[in-house]
Amino acid sequence: MTFNRRLFLASLTATLAAPMVKAQTRPRVIIIGGGAGGATAARYLAKDSKGALDVVLVEPSQTYYTCFFSNLYLGGFRSFESLGHSYDKLAAAYGINIVHDLATGVDRAAKTVTLASGNTLPYDKLVLSPGIDFIDGSVAGWSLAAQDAMPHAYKGGTQQPLQAQIAAMRPGGTFAMVAPPNPYRCPPGPYERASMVATYLQANNPTAKILILDPKDKFSKQALFEEGWNKHYPGMITRIGPDMGGSAIEVRPDTMEVVVDGEAEKVDVCNVIPAQRAGDIASIAGVTENNWAPVHADSMLSRLDENIYVLGDATNQGDMPKSGFSANSQAKVAANHIRGALTGSPVFPAKYANTCWSLIAADDGVKVGASYAPTPEKIASVDTFISQTGEDAALRKATYNESLGWYTGITTDMFG
Amino acid sequence: MGRGAYLLGTLAAALSTGAAAQTLGDPAYGEYLSGECTTCHLAAGTSNGIPAITHWPAADFVAALQGYKSKTRPNPIMQMIAGRLSDDEIAALAAYYESIEN
Ligand SMILES: Cc1cc2nc3c(=O)[nH]c(=O)nc-3n(C[C@H](O)[C@H](O)[C@H](O)COP(=O)(O)OP(=O)(O)OC[C@H]3O[C@@H](n4cnc5c(N)ncnc54)[C@H](O)[C@@H]3O)c2cc1C
Ligand code: HEC
Repeated sequence: MTFNRRLFLASLTATLAAPMVKAQTRPRVIIIGGGAGGATAARYLAKDSKGALDVVLVEPSQTYYTCFFSNLYLGGFRSFESLGHSYDKLAAAYGINIVHDLATGVDRAAKTVTLASGNTLPYDKLVLSPGIDFIDGSVAGWSLAAQDAMPHAYKGGTQQPLQAQIAAMRPGGTFAMVAPPNPYRCPPGPYERASMVATYLQANNPTAKILILDPKDKFSKQALFEEGWNKHYPGMITRIGPDMGGSAIEVRPDTMEVVVDGEAEKVDVCNVIPAQRAGDIASIAGVTENNWAPVHADSMLSRLDENIYVLGDATNQGDMPKSGFSANSQAKVAANHIRGALTGSPVFPAKYANTCWSLIAADDGVKVGASYAPTPEKIASVDTFISQTGEDAALRKATYNESLGWYTGITTDMFG
Repeated sequence: MGRGAYLLGTLAAALSTGAAAQTLGDPAYGEYLSGECTTCHLAAGTSNGIPAITHWPAADFVAALQGYKSKTRPNPIMQMIAGRLSDDEIAALAAYYESIEN
C-alpha cells in the first residue's frame, strides 16, 4: 500500500511539475472519509463523470467496517468479517485514487488538504464525510482514555472488544449502557444493540440483566422495542430515563461502577455511548457551527464555504436522521451538483430518502422511513412510515429479509 | 442577493432542467432518479431479499410503480417512494431500467 501511495504521490508531483500535461486539466474532487457518504460520493462522481474528473478519496483504513449490522454481530447473526469492505474495486474499476492517510488540515483560501504524512493536495471541490467524534466530558468520569474498560463501540470496526466483554460476563451479571443525548448517529442504534445483547445473553447467560441509562424522555421506535423486549426477554431489560436519574450519570472505569442518582452500582460491562459532534476535520476546516456542519438543503454544499460539501453524520441539514442510508442518499445529490459545477452536466432536483431497519430478536425486524425534500431552510420530511405493534411473525420476517437485501444494496452502491 | 433568493434561483433552475429532461421518458434522467433505488435494488439485477427490477418491459414496470403509488400494491416503503414520483418520472425510470446495461 505504501508503494501504491508513493506511486500516486509521485504522479501527482509529476503533474504539478508539468502543468501542461492533459491529466492536470481535469478538475479534482477530494473526498475526505470513505464511509457511507464518502465512498458513495466518490463512486458516483467517478462513474457518472466517465473520466472527466480526478476523484481522490482520503481514508486511513484499508478496510471499512460498517456500523450498520454491527449490532447483528453482537447478537450472533453476522460474523465480524462480513462487516468489512475493501476499497480495491473503487480504485480498479472506477479509477478513483485512494489515499490511505488521515487528513489533518484544510486551507480553504489555497484550496488544499494536508495529510498526516505531510503531503498537501490541491482541490477544486472538497467533500467532507468524516462521521462523528465524541464530546469530551459529556459523561462524567468517561474519556477516550477509559474506552478499554468502558467501550463505546459506536464507530466502525470497534465492536469486538465489547463482544468479548459480554461473552466473559459472570452468570447473572449486568450489562449497562449509557445511551447518548440527541442528536447522534443511528437513533434506534442503542436500542437495537440492547435487543441484540439480550438475544446473546438469553442463549448464553439467561439470568444476566441489561440496564439502559438514558438522558432522553423518549426514543426511536420505542413502542416497537418495548413490546419486543416484553415478548422476547421478559424482565431482562430495565431502562432508567431522565425522570429516574438517567440524565445525570457518572461512571467509574477503575471500579466498574455507574452512579445513578447518587447511588453507585457495580456492573460487569459498561457500554458508554457519549454525546456526539461532527468528525474533527469538519471543525478543523472551519465549516461547523455548534458542533455540526450546516449545509444547503438542495445540494449539501456547506453554508460556510462554496467549494466544500459536507455529507452524512457530520452535517446539520434538518429532518434526516444520521444514518448510513441518509449519508448515501445525500452523497448522490452532492455528486450530481458537483458534476454540474465542474463539468456542466445537468443538475437535477434534490431528493432524499431514508429507511432504518432494526432487529429486535431472530426474524423480528421492524422499520421506519421517510422521504425528504429541500426547502430554503432545511431538508424537510415529506412522508413517513413505521412498522406497527402487533404485526404478525411473517411480516416481521419479511421486514428482516428486506434489511438483508438493503445491506447488500447499500454496500454495493458504496464500494461497487 | 440574499441566500433565500439564491437558493430559490438554483432550485428553479434545477427544476426546469429536470422537467425538460423528464418529459421524454429520458433514460439520463431515469439514471439520476435510479440513484434512489440502488440503495436497495441491486443495479446488477440479482435478487437478494429485495426483488430485482432490471430489464422489465417498460409497461410492466410502470404498472408496478403506479400500483404502489395508488396503494393497490402493498409495501409501505414502495408506496412512499412511488407516491412522490410523477408519471413522467416513472416513465423515465421505466425507460432506464428497461435499457440498463450489465
Ligand atoms: C451501532 C450502529 C448501528 C447502525 N445501524 C445503522 C443501520 O441499520 N442503518 C443505517 O442506515 N445506519 C446505521 N448506523 C449509522 C451509520 O453507520 C452512520 O450514520 C454512517 O456510517 C454515516 O456515514 P458517514 O459517511 O457520515 O460516516 P462514516 O460511515 O462513519 O465514515 C466516516 C469515514 O471517515 C473517515 N475519516 C474520519 N476522519 C477522517 C480524516 N480526518 N481523514 C480521512 N478520513 C477520515 C473514517 O475513517 C471513516 O471511514 C448505525 C450506527 C451504529 C453506531
Ligand atoms: C428502502 C428500500 C427500497 C428502495 C429505496 C426502493 N425499493 Fe423498490 N422495493 C423494495 C421492496 C422491499 C420491494 C418488495 C415489496 C413487496 O414485497 O411487495 C420493492 C419492490 C419494487 C418493485 C416491484 C418488484 C416486483 O417484483 O414486484 C419495483 C418495480 C420497484 N420496487 C421499483 C423501485 C424503484 C424504481 C425505486 C427507486 C425510485 C425503488 N424501487 C426504491 C424496496 C425498495
